[in-house]
Amino acid sequence: MLTGTGIWSHASPDKIRERYVFVQQLINGLTVGAIYALLALGYSMVYGVLGLINFAHGEIYMIGAYSGILYFHLLTAIGAAGWPPVSFLLLLFLGSAVTAVGYAVFLEQVAYRPLRSARSLSPLISAIGASVFLQNYVMLTQGSADLVFPTLFPNEPLSWTTVPISGVQAMMMFTSFSLMLALHLFVTKTRLGKGIRAVAQDKTMAALCGIDVNRLIMLTFAIGAILAAGAGVMVGMYNGTVHFSIGFMVGLKAFAAAVLGGIGSLPGAMVGGILLGLVESLGSAYLVSEFKDGFAFCLLILVLIVKPTGLFGDATQRS
Amino acid sequence: MLHMARLFVLFAFLLGMVSDAYAAGEILIGLAGPMTGDQSKLGGDIERGARLAIEEWNAKGGVLKKKIRLLVGDDQHDPKQAVSVANKMVNQGIIGMVGHFNSSASIPASSVYHRAGIPMITPASTNPKLTDQGFKNVFRVCGRDDQQGRVAADFAAKKLRVKKVAILHDKTTYGQGLADEFKKNLSRYASSGISVVYEGGLTQGERDFRGILIAVKAKAPELLYFGGIFPEGGLLARQAKEVGLTAPMMSGDGVIDPKFIEIAGAAAEGTYLTFTPDPEVLPQAKRFLTQYKAKHGNELAPYAIYAYDATNVLLTAIAGARQTKGDAVVGALRNLKYDGASGHIEFDQKGDVKESPYIVWITKGGKFETFWTPTP
Repeated sequence: MLTGTGIWSHASPDKIRERYVFVQQLINGLTVGAIYALLALGYSMVYGVLGLINFAHGEIYMIGAYSGILYFHLLTAIGAAGWPPVSFLLLLFLGSAVTAVGYAVFLEQVAYRPLRSARSLSPLISAIGASVFLQNYVMLTQGSADLVFPTLFPNEPLSWTTVPISGVQAMMMFTSFSLMLALHLFVTKTRLGKGIRAVAQDKTMAALCGIDVNRLIMLTFAIGAILAAGAGVMVGMYNGTVHFSIGFMVGLKAFAAAVLGGIGSLPGAMVGGILLGLVESLGSAYLVSEFKDGFAFCLLILVLIVKPTGLFGDATQRS
Repeated sequence: MLHMARLFVLFAFLLGMVSDAYAAGEILIGLAGPMTGDQSKLGGDIERGARLAIEEWNAKGGVLKKKIRLLVGDDQHDPKQAVSVANKMVNQGIIGMVGHFNSSASIPASSVYHRAGIPMITPASTNPKLTDQGFKNVFRVCGRDDQQGRVAADFAAKKLRVKKVAILHDKTTYGQGLADEFKKNLSRYASSGISVVYEGGLTQGERDFRGILIAVKAKAPELLYFGGIFPEGGLLARQAKEVGLTAPMMSGDGVIDPKFIEIAGAAAEGTYLTFTPDPEVLPQAKRFLTQYKAKHGNELAPYAIYAYDATNVLLTAIAGARQTKGDAVVGALRNLKYDGASGHIEFDQKGDVKESPYIVWITKGGKFETFWTPTP
């Protein structure tokens, strides 16, 4: 794998190994970054329509991961293990997405809608409360020990490529970028997408034009939940274990990614997430490994000092 | 009138709280460890071990003609929580403490018990600092990480004969402490060409270690040593194979748990672990194991036997002192000679056991097996 053509030729073995390691770190960063991007989109969209930071979004991701394990065993029990992996995976994603959407919509109805006309601090506190509640709910119902996510994809580097990418990483990147593309098309090309953009611009005006604002806000939460569930299932597979606390740190980092890209901006969320993943991966590999979680926030602070609205904050503000 | 009645009820309630131990004529023994969270199995194991000992004593009539009751505290392997649990236990009037489990919890909690003059015996905290503080009331029935680190280093140098070693730890008191002891002992073999090619920390609770593992792999080590606990250990073993790190992994007593094999899957194979000898082969452990398994099934619970011994040692000392005063019990513990299920227990000046035979285990066929015994 180390020899051959392309980027690996014309160099000494040490140089080749160095480059190989660098590319491997780059791919890790991209994989994790794509996950941050999916979650950051959820933060950014909800912020776009409501001006609310949905701190319980990380917990929707965690519930997505737990649902993944649940549906995996359910599907295996009905004999789906023999089906083609693609359809198995699609059903797994679908099941988790439906579950996560259920929780997210419920959350919107119970925790956020009654506070919609309240001052902005109240929904924020409600969001933090919802986050703590969901964590403890999952701890009580699923137990506090790590649950092992069954292996579905080969985790070894794929042998037919010259770049060190594993099966699960390839699947994750493909799925993440497909989801992002689908979201982009949905928001820019469809009537419902147009409606969401209208609500983001001006709720009152949108309502006057005959748009059902409540329904579109619910839809926004649902879309965020679908992306979060996909991220949760993929990370569950990738890392191997799931725990009720996994949503917290990832949620914080995804929020940082959304702010980094300019909160409310969808391209910003994508770029912010990927940038964060890369910085974290390369930073912990080449600078200090102990400081891995710190890089995300250092980057955030740096960008906010230079450009307080985030990278894409001005031109394309709000969805 | 109503007001008075209320006041009376309140007072009765408060009194009830304070004197609940004395009124019932019970001896309260505390036990603390991670009862919830990712390490809850470890906490549960020591609780089950201690309960078995207490049931046996109570069946024989208790100690000092009083029944023994176990108070269980959850420190969530968090140093802050450990101190608050310790204060609560002391206020509730415990006579002695079995615990805590993690070194990072035991060390801060030990000063609370020290101030209260209550004997504390940990079944699992192996960080040397715990008994090096000079607290007269602190004991342990397990080994020390400097002993464990030495055995691991001897094994790497003499048996595996590796030259390049990478060291990772989880930045906790236990994990980093063990990794440091390993490194310190490894440096004794520097003349034979052993060197540490990578050293780094990871965060407990983190789940993606590929970044650091790739960096480790780039240094091409022949052995990866990890100081930490099984949730991270299992993922490290699993992800090391994924990134193509073929060097075997070695770790300590924090990783020897069935959950490690469950998490790591096939990647657990060939992992070396330092731990005490298998109780299954110890004749004196037979009675304990039969009873424990009859109650809790066959699942391996490596620390239950230490909690069982710690509880027995504590109760024996109370019986020997013929009183529950902390100083007297501590004095009795210092002179105690006890043949426990895990071996002979006798404390040295610091409160460590005089004999602590660490050996090396290996993961093979989804099970832990004893592998190598150091020659003294």
